[in-house]
Amino acid sequence: MLSGCEPLVNQFNDIEDAVMYQASSIKEFGPKKTIKVITWNIRFGVARLRFFGDGCGDRAILTKSEVTTGLEGLAAKIKKEDPDILLLQEVDVQSKKTAYIDQAQWLLDNTDMNYGAYGSMWESQVILADGLGRVNTGNLILSKWKLENAERHQLPLRNDQDGLTQYFYLRRNVLKATVAMPGNLFYAVNTHLTAFATDDTKKKHLDGFKDVLDGIAAEGQYFIAGGDLNEIPPNASKLDYCIEDQCDNESYHTGGESEHKEGAYFAPEITWLNALYQTYTPAISLSEYGRQEAEHFTHSPDNKLKLDRKLDYLWTNTNWTNGITHQEATELSDHIPVSAIWTVK
Amino acid sequence: MRRCFFILILGMVSAQWYGETATTIDERRKEIGLFSPFRMGLKNGTELSVNKFLLMPNVSIKQERPSIREWEIAQRFQLEYPTIGMKWLQSPMGDELGDPDMFALISPQFDIPQMVSIYGELIATNGLPTKGILTIRGGLGFGLGGNKLSNDATIDLPIIYPRLSIYYNGILMKVGGEYYRQFRDSWSYVVDYDMFVMPGGRGRYTFEHKMLLVWSKSQKFRFLIGYKLIAGEYPYGAQAHLLPALDVQFGW
Repeated sequence: MLSGCEPLVNQFNDIEDAVMYQASSIKEFGPKKTIKVITWNIRFGVARLRFFGDGCGDRAILTKSEVTTGLEGLAAKIKKEDPDILLLQEVDVQSKKTAYIDQAQWLLDNTDMNYGAYGSMWESQVILADGLGRVNTGNLILSKWKLENAERHQLPLRNDQDGLTQYFYLRRNVLKATVAMPGNLFYAVNTHLTAFATDDTKKKHLDGFKDVLDGIAAEGQYFIAGGDLNEIPPNASKLDYCIEDQCDNESYHTGGESEHKEGAYFAPEITWLNALYQTYTPAISLSEYGRQEAEHFTHSPDNKLKLDRKLDYLWTNTNWTNGITHQEATELSDHIPVSAIWTVK
Repeated sequence: MRRCFFILILGMVSAQWYGETATTIDERRKEIGLFSPFRMGLKNGTELSVNKFLLMPNVSIKQERPSIREWEIAQRFQLEYPTIGMKWLQSPMGDELGDPDMFALISPQFDIPQMVSIYGELIATNGLPTKGILTIRGGLGFGLGGNKLSNDATIDLPIIYPRLSIYYNGILMKVGGEYYRQFRDSWSYVVDYDMFVMPGGRGRYTFEHKMLLVWSKSQKFRFLIGYKLIAGEYPYGAQAHLLPALDVQFGW
């Protein structure tokens, strides 16, 4: 297929249709009374390989073999957990850095999931920095049942960047789709919010995510939602990760200076998840998190395998049971999956 | 600024394979363009062409050959050394990975080996400016030293990808042609077509079509404007691009 006159960078409309996927062979699944939901930031299928963009690595381009190995690890875990709905973040569908593997299609064809809806958060024919080249990465909802009316909702852009950087930078979004389970429709919502904004962009993203959930609830519908919110719980005991996140050539707080590494200092925003916790039900309650905080950490940067913070969440406007933080999957990505069982209303 | 730089890079690289007729320019005449190489007429129907992008030195010699019926015939040989230019494209601003390394088109993680390419082509031209001049050409090139160059280090952009493919694949075939016609005293047009065949590459072919309106003020100055349509395969799949094309050329 040839397509002409595509913009250098896709800037997206406020609301637009998601890109739909389907497995090469469809497996039949009937309706269920309870469904298993997983949220997982899969770090574009490169497991814990060192990469310059989100850690301290010195590589921008990974090989097809490396990415395939990473995807095989993800697929094995997904098949073992056997979720009905999978909310994935950082899924590359056409990026030079991951050998142009369409990871949405690859995961559909190598797991028991049948249908997918994709919303890009970064789509450019070329990123003129670091040799990154072509990029298309984003959020993906995978389902055993058909997905319908899938929409990509644009979130505000970062305001702490110059116009040129902003033009080529990530465009975060909320991905919403109807899951057409026979006899029962419900919504699946997936998001990945800003990690490095130094202004109130993350608060706007949280508000935008909640607005989408509020809209579903206002219609009297039910949802399962989740994603990488890049925010720690309001009762987290540690707020400053500058030391943990610094690379060898960086140095923070050695002389008591107040400068913080982007995305590593949460004190000013520690209350920003309160509205979600007060309105909707998390898979891991605040009290449970407070009781066993370390057991519910979902992330550690770069190739550090000791998880040290919770950034990944599942939400619903009904109830969850059996919320699990899968810390056994630490080597498969820099985030780990969070799963829970949702009773269909 | 980024966009301007992007267009400039395309121009610099595209100059290496500037299309032309079998007619060589007059002895001692010189021509240069914003996006076309420096050319100079030598003795005995020979023309020397040098790319202005000094980081990617490229020199070619075109020689007239005996005509066949009413067709002018020429042969062209080209030699190019891309290593310095490709290394420069890993860090044009001198930054390091993650600084961010602005405008880098090749990741600095890759080693760029010492490489050279040789390219030869035959060109045939027939016609008169006011009635139309038709040119057809075809050539074959080989890249040497690129066996240590990673296939993940390609620049997957129109114009650049097919022209650098010779270093990744070791071979390049190219056929094409152009039609030139003068329709007023100072006005003419050029319709140009080229096909790149890149055996062994993740992108196997590229078609390039260009149409230019030419305003020739005199033998010293001409201005060309039009479009370039590129359709080809890249490592990520097939895509078409429509780009503006312009050049300002001077001769003396």
